[in-house]
Amino acid sequence: MTALATSSIARRKAWLRRQPWAPWLYLAPALVLLVIWIYGPLAYAFWLSFHEWNMLPTAPRRYVGLLNYERLIGLPDMKAALWNTGIYLIGLLPLTVILPVAIAILTNELSGRWRDLYRALIFVPLIIAPVAAAAVWRWMLNVDFGIVNMALRGMGLSAVDFLKDDDTAIWTIIWITGWKLIGFSTLVISASLSNINPALIEAARMDGGKEWQITRRIRLPLLSPTIFLLVLLTILLGAQWSFAYIHVLTQGGPLGSTSNVYYLLWQFGFGSLAAGWASAAGMLLFVGFGVVAAGLIWLMNRASFHDN
Amino acid sequence: MTTDAKPRRPGDWTAHAVMIPLAFISVFPVWWMLVTSLRPLAEIYSPLPWPAAMTLENYSYATGVIPVWTMLANTMIFSIISTALQLLTAVLAAYGFARWRFFGDRVLFALVAMTWLVPFQVVMIPNYVVIAQMGLVDTLTALMLPNMASAFAILLLVQAMRSFPVEVIDAAHMDGASHWRILWRILVPNLRAPLAALSILLFISAWNEYFWPLLLTRSEDKTVIQIGIQMFLTEEGSQWGPLMAVSTLACLPVLVIYLVVQRQVIDSFVKAGLR
Repeated sequence: MTALATSSIARRKAWLRRQPWAPWLYLAPALVLLVIWIYGPLAYAFWLSFHEWNMLPTAPRRYVGLLNYERLIGLPDMKAALWNTGIYLIGLLPLTVILPVAIAILTNELSGRWRDLYRALIFVPLIIAPVAAAAVWRWMLNVDFGIVNMALRGMGLSAVDFLKDDDTAIWTIIWITGWKLIGFSTLVISASLSNINPALIEAARMDGGKEWQITRRIRLPLLSPTIFLLVLLTILLGAQWSFAYIHVLTQGGPLGSTSNVYYLLWQFGFGSLAAGWASAAGMLLFVGFGVVAAGLIWLMNRASFHDN
Repeated sequence: MTTDAKPRRPGDWTAHAVMIPLAFISVFPVWWMLVTSLRPLAEIYSPLPWPAAMTLENYSYATGVIPVWTMLANTMIFSIISTALQLLTAVLAAYGFARWRFFGDRVLFALVAMTWLVPFQVVMIPNYVVIAQMGLVDTLTALMLPNMASAFAILLLVQAMRSFPVEVIDAAHMDGASHWRILWRILVPNLRAPLAALSILLFISAWNEYFWPLLLTRSEDKTVIQIGIQMFLTEEGSQWGPLMAVSTLACLPVLVIYLVVQRQVIDSFVKAGLR
């Protein structure tokens, strides 16, 4: 086996010496595109962040040093947006991690037909276009005629203007974002649960382990890599997932209560045509992002258990 | 074997008690969208869970106000072409990564893997500037340009190709087959399943693409259906029927694909999530 593998590697090496450019030919189309549309723009955004420019092709790009960054950090909008970004993350975690874990464990032993049916149904929100989802939730949550408020009134409660009240708007956006993801997260956890060796659970049961003990001592530790992954995704992408709903439903309002750093960026860039500001904010975001991701991946490698 | 659970287990009742509300919450909004879109204007506020009298008047109204069919056709063209190009560039790049060890391969791979760390909002302004300089604002081509390579597709296919048995490929080499031939005659046909799953995934995400078209669009007949929904949404007020009709049309193709290949769609998304 080893002999075969080494001989095959040796052969490939000899071959590579003959055509050193071959891998590059295969990689070129994708790499060129990624450089043109992602890394190039990233570098350009970095450059723009030290300049002032109103995005009109004829207008000059004036070098302003760190001014954009200084202004941003002092901006009251930015502080509120950062705070809201935190609320989005904390609000989303129950919907994208905690509830899915609980649901997946509770429904773990459901059998064939039912399992397939439920899987098919809870997956639907994920594939619905975000704008369509925003439209239908706006309709259902309408204060006068939306079905949710009709139901509330039917139960003798007072109607809530979910998207226009600055106390409820952010939670409504969080709910819609979570609604799209809860089924997906549940299925990811279920898939990872079904990878756990059933003999482990059976052995624990034979030893008289209670279900919650089995969950705490066996299931949760073995699920921890998947749980970490979902936490990572939520922290890194959560605020971004909400973006479409903020844009379509509240435009950051009422009174800035639903704006987060991504939305602020968008408003800087295309609302106020301040390319320098938007780029500086984008760079801060990108760096912050990288630091958080690196930290979480480091934690994940240290803390997770593996099922061998 | 604990896996072969019978429906009479007490745990099953808990499971149903949890899953029925969850399934209801997941599907009800989609149902409500469809039902509202089929109601006549006089009944639009009805709380009945089905339309008492069905009509297509919301659809004909919506198609009269904005060019819904053109938008749907645009979305279809955009989604198919960008899916095809993303598949093509990903198949080639994945072969490059999976086949060879060469100077800098790890760095390049990391570069591809890290593209998801770059938020759209950071690169949107530079990309918009480039498109504007090329004079392509308000064209379908401009929608396509940044969507011709997908880092996610590359990563997924590298994994699939690396797990393909080396012996088969080596045997083909001995027979004198070129790389090009091995890729298209051996790897691609054998990776049909992951390729199909991937293309569904790419198609759905292209179909639902919204922000890039929003930046580029100026005229109604050169944009995608998501922007069409947005046009009805910005008109504050009472046109719920037509809004739901456009939303239904925008979701229909994806829902139809989902109905046909539901299991594969779920599996491919879940596997993608697990990675």
